[in-house]
Amino acid sequence: MSENNAAVHAHGLRKHYGELVAVDGIDFDVRVGECFGLLGPNGAGKTTTMKMIYGLAEVEEGQLQVLGMDVSSHRREVKARLGVVPQAENLDRELTVRENLLVQAGFFGLPDEWAQRRADELLGLAGLSARAGARPIELSGGMRRRLLIARALINDPALVVLDEPTTGLDPQARQSVWERLEALRGRGVTLLLSTHYMEEATRLCDRLVVMDTGRIVAHGSPAELMERFGAPNLEAVFLQLTGRELDA
Amino acid sequence: MSAAAPSAGASARAWVHIPHPSSALAVWRRNARVFSKVWKGALLPQFFDPLFYLLALGFGLGAYVAHVHGLAYRDFIAPGLCASAVMWAAIFETTWNVFFRMEESRLYDAVLATPVEVEDLVTGELLWAATRSLIYGTSFLVVIAALGFVGSPWAIALPPFLALGGACFAAIGLTYTSLIPKMDYYTFFFTLFVTPMFLLGGIFFPYDRLPDWAQVLGWLTPLYHLVAIARSLATSPDALTVLGHAAWLAAVTAALWLVPVRAMRRRLVA
Repeated sequence: MSENNAAVHAHGLRKHYGELVAVDGIDFDVRVGECFGLLGPNGAGKTTTMKMIYGLAEVEEGQLQVLGMDVSSHRREVKARLGVVPQAENLDRELTVRENLLVQAGFFGLPDEWAQRRADELLGLAGLSARAGARPIELSGGMRRRLLIARALINDPALVVLDEPTTGLDPQARQSVWERLEALRGRGVTLLLSTHYMEEATRLCDRLVVMDTGRIVAHGSPAELMERFGAPNLEAVFLQLTGRELDA
Repeated sequence: MSAAAPSAGASARAWVHIPHPSSALAVWRRNARVFSKVWKGALLPQFFDPLFYLLALGFGLGAYVAHVHGLAYRDFIAPGLCASAVMWAAIFETTWNVFFRMEESRLYDAVLATPVEVEDLVTGELLWAATRSLIYGTSFLVVIAALGFVGSPWAIALPPFLALGGACFAAIGLTYTSLIPKMDYYTFFFTLFVTPMFLLGGIFFPYDRLPDWAQVLGWLTPLYHLVAIARSLATSPDALTVLGHAAWLAAVTAALWLVPVRAMRRRLVA
């Protein structure tokens, strides 16, 4: 596929921190409208890859185009069309749930009246309308994660980047996050998701890459990967590829 | 396509862009929104602080010190304390509060994942701290004017200079905050810089009878200049004095701006 109609096009992407090579020359394309997964254990380079996409890490070497734009030269323009759900919760603790969305809209330069409508709509979708006036600290972990997702959608993004969106959630909360991500995918929003849960990757991802120590060790759809490695599930695929268990 | 374009990131980092006003304003508005909820609790303590100094020194010590430069002692220190209200407001905002947003709540990570860039963030924080200084300084000015400690109607021209002084203290606070690895380092900042500046910045005694080296030392601190502006406008205004000191504050603010921009970029966009 050509880089021009890919949501993300990475070629020879590399990044190191001191001695540590976090991302070691990876290539992948995310197609418009699909849910693409980065699967791998902690330290595989998933977060660094995502941070380069959403502008919180500089690209050191290689090519990275997002929505047809080079991220190093068009960072502001790229970020204007992204939604980001970070791994570490960073909601504004000094504001209410609803204000978190309004202020986020302000960072995107969206008009106030429009933002108010959009915020109420997103609170409804996230099942948080009744908690609009609460502080993030008063919410459960699952609610906070749903608020992070709602916040990421305030600008109606073309691509949503989710870094381990269900890590640390109980099974029920995980289900409710999955349902929302499936609804998003159903509406044609492109999703890039990192996870170390095989079940999550199998359920949500159209295609995925398996990462280990900064490299891509396999890519394909979940079904393709299981067939190619004669494995009953993605867990077994990962074990075959690396000789290690994927510690969840 | 060519592989491995070298170091696109390094060159992007070296280049500092002119801030986008709308993005900087969005950062300002976020802080204003938070302040609008907590202002009663936040304004009072910092506001009472200079008032108690005014009482203790202006009335207490002032009963023994008759006059300084022909002014009653309390009239001499009141405008200076107005400058100190500005200093404390800007310094608190750009030390503890900014550090909290940067390292504890990780709010800046969220902000920088939107179209807001580091230069917008630093500019928005600086403008907000200046605004907060303006609120504190002007409130104090109103009180001392009501108490009759302001001799010149030109004091009404003081608020823009209070905001400018606030911006200068904010630039210093942001610089220090962007460079320290952890909160513990504020002890040094307050003990070795802010408190001495408060005591020696010309609020409580005039500099003209001190040795030259002391005058040079005073001249190097922003409080000295803001005190001079405040005292001049509140007692016997002299345009040249006011504009000269204002130029110092503006120049230092502009020169320092780049330091937190670059340090925070290194820190937050590694």
